[in-house]
Amino acid sequence: MTTHPAPPAPPVQTPSGRRRNSRIGRVLGYLATAVASVAVLLPFYWMVVSSLKTDNEVFTLPVRWLPSAAQWHHYADIWTRSDLTTWLGNTVLLSVAVTVLQVLTGSFAAYGFSKIRFPGRDALFLTYVATLAVPWQSYMIPQFVLLSKMHLSDTLWSIIAIQAFGALGVFLMRQFYESIPDELVDAARIDGMSEYGIYRRIMLPLSTPALASLALLTLVNTWNDFLGPLLYLRSSNLWTIQLGLRTFISQYSAEYALIMTGSVLSVLPIVVIFLLGQRYFVEGVATTGLKG
Amino acid sequence: MTAPGSAPARRRVGRNTLLGWSFLLPNFLGFAVLTMAPVALLFYYAFTTWDIFGGAEWSGLDNARQMIHDSTFWNAVRNTLYYTVFHIPLTLVVSLGLAVLLNKRLRAVAFFRTVAFFPYIASIVAVAQVWNMLFSPGYGPVDALLRAVGVDHPPGWTTSADWSMPAVILVGTWREMGYFMLIFLAGLQTVPAQLYEAARVDGANAWQRLWAVTLPGLRPTTFFVIVMLTINSFKVLDLILVMTNGGPGQSTLVLAQYVYRKGFEENQFGYASAVSVVLFLLCLLVTMAQFAVNRRREA
Amino acid sequence: MERSIAAVLGAVTALSLTLAGCGSGDDASGGDGTATLTLAGWSLATTPEFKVLADGFHAANPGVSVELKEYDPKNYDTQMIADLAAGKAPDLYVQKTLKNFYTYQNGKQLLDVSDVASGLGRGANGLSSYQVDGKTFAIPYRQDSWVVYYNRALFDRARVKYPDGSWTWDDYAAAGKRLTEGLKASGSPALGIYQHVWQSTLQGFALAQTPGADLASGDFGFLKPYYTRAVGLQQAGAQVGLGDATTNNLTYQAQFGKQRAAMMTMGTWYIATLLGQQRSGDADKFEWGIAPAPQRDKSTTGASATPVTFADPTGMGINPKIKKARIDTAKKFLAYVGSADAAKALAGIGITPANTDAAAGTIFAIPGVPTDDVSRFAFTRHDTKPENPVGKYTAPLQNILNDLHTAVLSGTEDIDTAIAEAQDRAKNEVLNK
Repeated sequence: MTTHPAPPAPPVQTPSGRRRNSRIGRVLGYLATAVASVAVLLPFYWMVVSSLKTDNEVFTLPVRWLPSAAQWHHYADIWTRSDLTTWLGNTVLLSVAVTVLQVLTGSFAAYGFSKIRFPGRDALFLTYVATLAVPWQSYMIPQFVLLSKMHLSDTLWSIIAIQAFGALGVFLMRQFYESIPDELVDAARIDGMSEYGIYRRIMLPLSTPALASLALLTLVNTWNDFLGPLLYLRSSNLWTIQLGLRTFISQYSAEYALIMTGSVLSVLPIVVIFLLGQRYFVEGVATTGLKG
Repeated sequence: MTAPGSAPARRRVGRNTLLGWSFLLPNFLGFAVLTMAPVALLFYYAFTTWDIFGGAEWSGLDNARQMIHDSTFWNAVRNTLYYTVFHIPLTLVVSLGLAVLLNKRLRAVAFFRTVAFFPYIASIVAVAQVWNMLFSPGYGPVDALLRAVGVDHPPGWTTSADWSMPAVILVGTWREMGYFMLIFLAGLQTVPAQLYEAARVDGANAWQRLWAVTLPGLRPTTFFVIVMLTINSFKVLDLILVMTNGGPGQSTLVLAQYVYRKGFEENQFGYASAVSVVLFLLCLLVTMAQFAVNRRREA
Repeated sequence: MERSIAAVLGAVTALSLTLAGCGSGDDASGGDGTATLTLAGWSLATTPEFKVLADGFHAANPGVSVELKEYDPKNYDTQMIADLAAGKAPDLYVQKTLKNFYTYQNGKQLLDVSDVASGLGRGANGLSSYQVDGKTFAIPYRQDSWVVYYNRALFDRARVKYPDGSWTWDDYAAAGKRLTEGLKASGSPALGIYQHVWQSTLQGFALAQTPGADLASGDFGFLKPYYTRAVGLQQAGAQVGLGDATTNNLTYQAQFGKQRAAMMTMGTWYIATLLGQQRSGDADKFEWGIAPAPQRDKSTTGASATPVTFADPTGMGINPKIKKARIDTAKKFLAYVGSADAAKALAGIGITPANTDAAAGTIFAIPGVPTDDVSRFAFTRHDTKPENPVGKYTAPLQNILNDLHTAVLSGTEDIDTAIAEAQDRAKNEVLNK
């Protein structure tokens, strides 16, 4: 399914004794993996199959697991029936902008929170975490009024503004930096490196997996966000994929198959990005000096 | 050189403050304006009667008093705790277990590591749709399976008040386990391999190594995961909106949905703000407790 | 580092140019002679009514054009409330549901348009729903009402007589059971009845038809016979249970249009949808008809009585933040919206305008619309009460009653317990606040 990069040394090695035990363990492991994979993939299978059914085959009692005849033309129709191209374009633009900003400012601030001691730091960090506990729905109206006063509503800027400076990135990166020993940083300080230099030359390379997972998380959140674009974006040329798809659903409420086609196409880019990037968060660290 | 001993220290503090803020500032500017300020306003609105149009009228503790007599509010609190208490340990154990098991270079494992994240990236609407069908009593495959293994009266899942919350919890775990598994996997890479070697030399078996090396090494990661899970659980909304919309009856109505209902369906934004402050305080309380425990362990 | 910062800045600048290019151009209204009004609508591609009204008005007043702003149909009120709060809502906006009219009116988000209303003359249904203290705040342009849709082919197959306007709910339930049996005997998987998941399918009728029923009284005993009957139909297998309908996301369009049920109650908006879907192939082609909604008792059935049914009118009002100079033009537009001309234009696309009398001829001329006497009667004769009586407590009470709806029809609670619980909640959480 995925490409295998040059294999670094395996993190954990099974001792060569107790062969049979480990074989049974391995079989069980495979079995568990197989069951879990089916559980995870079933809904996706259903989505793809539904997109190939006729509309009236999609929701039937009992459930039908195969289309009577695959309707591939849905994948051609959807581009003419909807503004999918525009929606995808806007979503890509937003996702990239938000992710870049979130990763940069988040990891930058996290370094300040984790490796530099100054008064008020911990209280401020707690404020950051605390705001994570407030549901966005409860302050979205004051925020909307504020951004409207700044003439940002109904522009893509509004989505960038509300998504890019969230506390989540700071929190995630700070937690990761906490796991990097202070001695490493102190040693660099003694070598005369500036704090910015340490951030850039030591912390950033060390935190590839964390950066990658933050990037992916932000990307996914921005990509799948519905309520934000719903509230802020009125002009149809600014719509994102989720907003467009939802409007499409309410317009063609009975055309389930086409809706599923749209859903599949909306998930596909993220899946591809994930497949391309996944090795970074799992294996990125292996190439760094940490394991020395 | 004979200046008071505290002067260089003070200067260092000043320098550090400046340095620290220079790191925080790019993020903090956006955060303060776009999140902190509106959240602060929320605390003011919680003590007002406000129907969103016109000004908010100060009404002191009226909202709090109303809340005490509001049985729906208490139902929502109960349901939120129900979700939280089961969802957190379940997801934690499943994702940590998967991460430890899958921290190997096997082809099947690589495949699963990849697909495990899929639920997290798919839009919740499509996913909830499918799960509702899978759980459908009478026709759905889940109950068909249960019947096949000898359960005579399989649960009604989302159509029954007793089983709707377990169904939502299961789907919640299904959705989030892959993401947290990846976080744990990333965390596992930071556990120095020498520690495993040392433990092995000391004759520790796999189970002992898990307790002595892996879990302590994962502590910052685990802490992050627990806090994230807590926050996500207290704020759970989208899943419930699309799966059950709070029903049947009020069996899955949670606080975040109640906030939405009061605010956007009934236009009582003052009261909705008060409810979200309660949600916030609940969440904060639990998170602070976790911070405290974490700090004591670190010390 | 510096280079990467420069790269980021460059990217941001490029981005900002793109974004600015996409930004909305708000102040497009010209100064001299020509004026532009803005109007909120939803699902513009499949909801042609806004464009029909805008074009019709423009044809009569070439100097004025009406520009449509698209909103999300499911979250229309959320978006509108946000826009009004931020002062950037369009000049005119639609009251999509009557439930939220109170919020807008009480929040002073609607201009008094009593002068427009008084100029409308007779024939405008639903106006009273938008009147508070003798003043009118919105002009209705469409007034649907709930009727029974039935599938002639399936009725014939089950050997059951078509509805003739004489039905009470007991007759309806009995017919549903006979249909189910007859269809089963003939080998058809279709059921007698499809009842959609909405609370209004029972509560709308109960509230409209029961004398003295009043939401704000906090007494919900009037719901009991309606729920007892529906639970009985579910248990008899004559209609799909609420749980199955919800978990499988059944749509009424597919249930009736694909002949999975022989009859169902639904609003007259479905006439246009069904016609369209039969034409496009999304629905099967079969003979259908409409009949008056079943009644609570015999006193309102038959050709000489006026059947009681429900549905909210859809009205349009003016945003008080509109530019002063445009108020008169906006009122002129509202006067057109309530006129017989607009009614005919709306009927032409299968919509039931508020001015039903003016529209009947147009509707029945559309090919595919059933023209038998019962269908004509069902379309033109009815006493349509609002689903959501305007009031401060309507929205919270409807939420409580929706919990009752799902609890009872999912079999979680019996109707007596559920009513007692809903009355308690209404008292403690809403009415005695």
